[in-house]
Amino acid sequence: MGLGDIIKKQQEALNKPAEENKNEEVVQLVGFVVGEEEFAVPILSIQEIIKPIEWTRVPFVPDYVLGVFNLRGNVLPLIDLRIKFGAPANEIDENTRFIVMKIKGEDVAFVIDRLSSAIRIPKKNILPPPNTYENEDDIIEGVGRMDDGRIITVLKVDNLIKREEIVPDKS
Amino acid sequence: MDELMELLDDFLVEAFEMIEELDQDLIELENNPDDLELLNKIFRVAHTIKGSGSFLNFDKLTHLTHHMEAVLDKARKGELKITPEIMDVILESVDAMKAILEYIRDHGNDSSPDVEIDSIVKKLDAIVNGEFGKSEENKEESKEEQKSGINLDEISLDNVDELDLESLPPEEVDKILEKLVLEVNKEDNQKDDKENKQESKQEDKNKEDKQEDKQEKKDAVVASENKPATTSKTTAVEKKDAQSLAKKHSITVKEQTIRVDVKRLDQLMNLIGELVLAKNRLIKIYNDVEERYEGEKFLEELNQVVSSISIVTTDLQIAVMKIRMLPIGKVFNKFPRLVRDLARELGKKVRLIIEGEDTELDKSIIEEIGDPLVHMIRNAIDHGIEPPEERRRLGKPEEGTIWLRAYNEGNMIVIEIKDDGRGMDPEKLKQKAIEKGIITPQEAENMSDKEAFMLIFKPGFSTAEKVTNVSGRGVGMDVVKTNIEKLNGIIEVESVPGKGTTFKLKIPLTLAIIQALLVASQEDLFAVPLSNVIETVRIVEEDIYTIEGKSVLKLRDEVLPLVNMADIFEIEKILEPEKYLYVVILGLGATKIGLIVDRFIGQEEIVIKSLGEFLKGLPGIAGATIRGDGRVTLIVDVASLMKLAKDTHNKKLVTDSLKEVKKKKEKPSDYVVMIVDDSAMDRKIMRQALEPLGVQIIEAKDGVEALNLLKQNDVDAMLIDIEMPRMDGYTLAQEIRKYNKYRKLPLIAVTSRATKSDRVRGVEVGMNEYITKPYTQEYLQNVVRRNLKL
Repeated sequence: MGLGDIIKKQQEALNKPAEENKNEEVVQLVGFVVGEEEFAVPILSIQEIIKPIEWTRVPFVPDYVLGVFNLRGNVLPLIDLRIKFGAPANEIDENTRFIVMKIKGEDVAFVIDRLSSAIRIPKKNILPPPNTYENEDDIIEGVGRMDDGRIITVLKVDNLIKREEIVPDKS
Repeated sequence: MDELMELLDDFLVEAFEMIEELDQDLIELENNPDDLELLNKIFRVAHTIKGSGSFLNFDKLTHLTHHMEAVLDKARKGELKITPEIMDVILESVDAMKAILEYIRDHGNDSSPDVEIDSIVKKLDAIVNGEFGKSEENKEESKEEQKSGINLDEISLDNVDELDLESLPPEEVDKILEKLVLEVNKEDNQKDDKENKQESKQEDKNKEDKQEDKQEKKDAVVASENKPATTSKTTAVEKKDAQSLAKKHSITVKEQTIRVDVKRLDQLMNLIGELVLAKNRLIKIYNDVEERYEGEKFLEELNQVVSSISIVTTDLQIAVMKIRMLPIGKVFNKFPRLVRDLARELGKKVRLIIEGEDTELDKSIIEEIGDPLVHMIRNAIDHGIEPPEERRRLGKPEEGTIWLRAYNEGNMIVIEIKDDGRGMDPEKLKQKAIEKGIITPQEAENMSDKEAFMLIFKPGFSTAEKVTNVSGRGVGMDVVKTNIEKLNGIIEVESVPGKGTTFKLKIPLTLAIIQALLVASQEDLFAVPLSNVIETVRIVEEDIYTIEGKSVLKLRDEVLPLVNMADIFEIEKILEPEKYLYVVILGLGATKIGLIVDRFIGQEEIVIKSLGEFLKGLPGIAGATIRGDGRVTLIVDVASLMKLAKDTHNKKLVTDSLKEVKKKKEKPSDYVVMIVDDSAMDRKIMRQALEPLGVQIIEAKDGVEALNLLKQNDVDAMLIDIEMPRMDGYTLAQEIRKYNKYRKLPLIAVTSRATKSDRVRGVEVGMNEYITKPYTQEYLQNVVRRNLKL
């Protein structure tokens, strides 16, 4: 490589738009399986992951709200992501987990079929959801393409549940 | 007089609190000028200070805040974009407001000669009129103009002659004189080398009160930026004030009480909540132990410890609750004067009747409830009560009446504000809401009167035609609603045009630990606040009558509506109805209903926990509690449950609902018997013994598998071996009995362990029969047949 080439390369690096640098950012996700699909949420949004424990049913809520349970003295809502995503309900088995996430300042637990892996993925590999996706509730952040060819759906944690969909307006 | 001082104190405490928050909010607003929520909040602060200020006759403060409010109102309506220039003015006005408030705190009036507001007000006006840029250029000119107005700041010994004292109202003249006297006293100080003087004072002050100094310094800086002409003078004067203020602080009276951060009390309350849960568990464990080791010596000792812990916990809990409780009279007491003054101002005659001022409420609620009540009472006087002439014409007594009432209703405190004024017309409200774009005409059409009344709580809705000092720009009611909801409370409105309006604020005793009756409806447990339980009765189906298509229960002389709890909460029915039905008689005010449940569990002390943002406010549910075994039990909201029950009562007959349970079993093949044994050989023996009966048979090889199969199948009896891997027969029986659904499921132990203690253990864990191996086929068949009632 001639000196000219090196200088040219340096120049290029310097001129590289800032945005591209930003795209080098790596996001850390936790992947899990619900139904047939693999999903992921940012690792920072997860409070903890626990094995299933007994819950109490709650009346007048959509069927994906299984109820509430006691996590060390706090009462947390429990959401079944399978039902939420329209997949048939599944028996709880030894792979089932509750993922506790903070949504709008409140801890909420979600039932998932099994954890898959911790994922590090460059931000640029996460693309906005294609139009063909059903994304009416705006719960999909994007679609991530893994190096091994797997496709994972990155969820928008804050939009996973909405109060107005759960509790009917009082009036 | 004392009353007024108390009021003033409250006002100042509140105002400073709000201003402290405001500072942060304003800074945030500069970053997000479009944040409507934030604008609304800031607007409300100005509004509240204006309101309370005008009530306490702080004219200067009211004048200033009124103009601030106007600007913020425009901004929150989106008619004005907050530019940094405008923000400067807003910040300036907030600083002026702060300075006035500080003056009030120290002197008890708002003459605050050092705070000059006219130029700020001018700027604020300019912003409202959209001429802000211009006024900036004409700054010099406007300064000139101010002299013609009565601006205390501009008055000095030099120009006092120019004033026409005759034409001024006496209090104004007093203020001017006061100011001049001050001026004379300060004259000397100021004529000396100003800079040096300031420096040394600064130091003095530093020693006295560092905190105060910072605050004052900041004010001084702002002041000097905005008022270049008078900089040095005002700064010097302010310093002086600060100094005297600091001195005052050092001689504050010693207090008999300690102020404690509410957070610490909350923390304490939470800890006690945990303690109560632990106590409940301890009692549960003690009961288990007592059964197992009856007659043993150490039980007595254990009993003593458990009892004393239980007593101390209860006392502790009451003590902490009491620390937090205050009579609502503390809030109510400020209203007679408020009503009187407002009525006079508006030329109305109003009588205020206060009831239930002894009702105790948690301190945090007392604090939060004041503001909403002020707004609502103001509204009642301003919009509700008609002027005397109108009342006379309508044949009403000239003097209007407002009732302010507090009372306990179950686990809620109800505060009622009732007036006999003109009431609200739902149609008019709808019309107004349509005009304001809050609802569409279609929405209005489908709206019930009740819903129409709720429109007044929408932001931007105000029924007042013109903006008055009293009830401003429709900010009141939406604040009221937000505040009440923050307390987990609800508002109910009833109104009859021409007759008056009643507002009911229902606020739960949030932090309370309550006594509850635990009941089971099918498999689900519920806690019913004991304060609403009148009695519990056991009835038979024949006691249920159907009157006009509705189920009722005749109880002594009374006829009560009767509803199945499972119908109210839409719980799937899985339990066979029994001979006896269990009924909880609930009472709320004058209403009583009978609620059919499937089992009474018992009375327990429970800690109320919120269901969180996403689930709170579910119909019929007030919250949840964590029981001794760690499970969550829902707490019934009696008022809401009553409403639901009424609907259910109209729709469904109890006698029908009792028939809804799963299909009857007729022939042997409808029955399922489960065999649980780890030995394939033993399972085969049992299967062969039972096959002649014609029942269906399923098999499990340990307790874990059995539990899973049990959940998936409709099992009618179980044969259980004791010695098994993973989960033995005792544990299995124990687990099964935890479910209400399987309370009556026949469990038959089939084992070679034949000692007496084994049998006793079997009974303890809930086995119905105990068969020892070896057994004859006939014997096994007979036992199973007997248990299946074949």
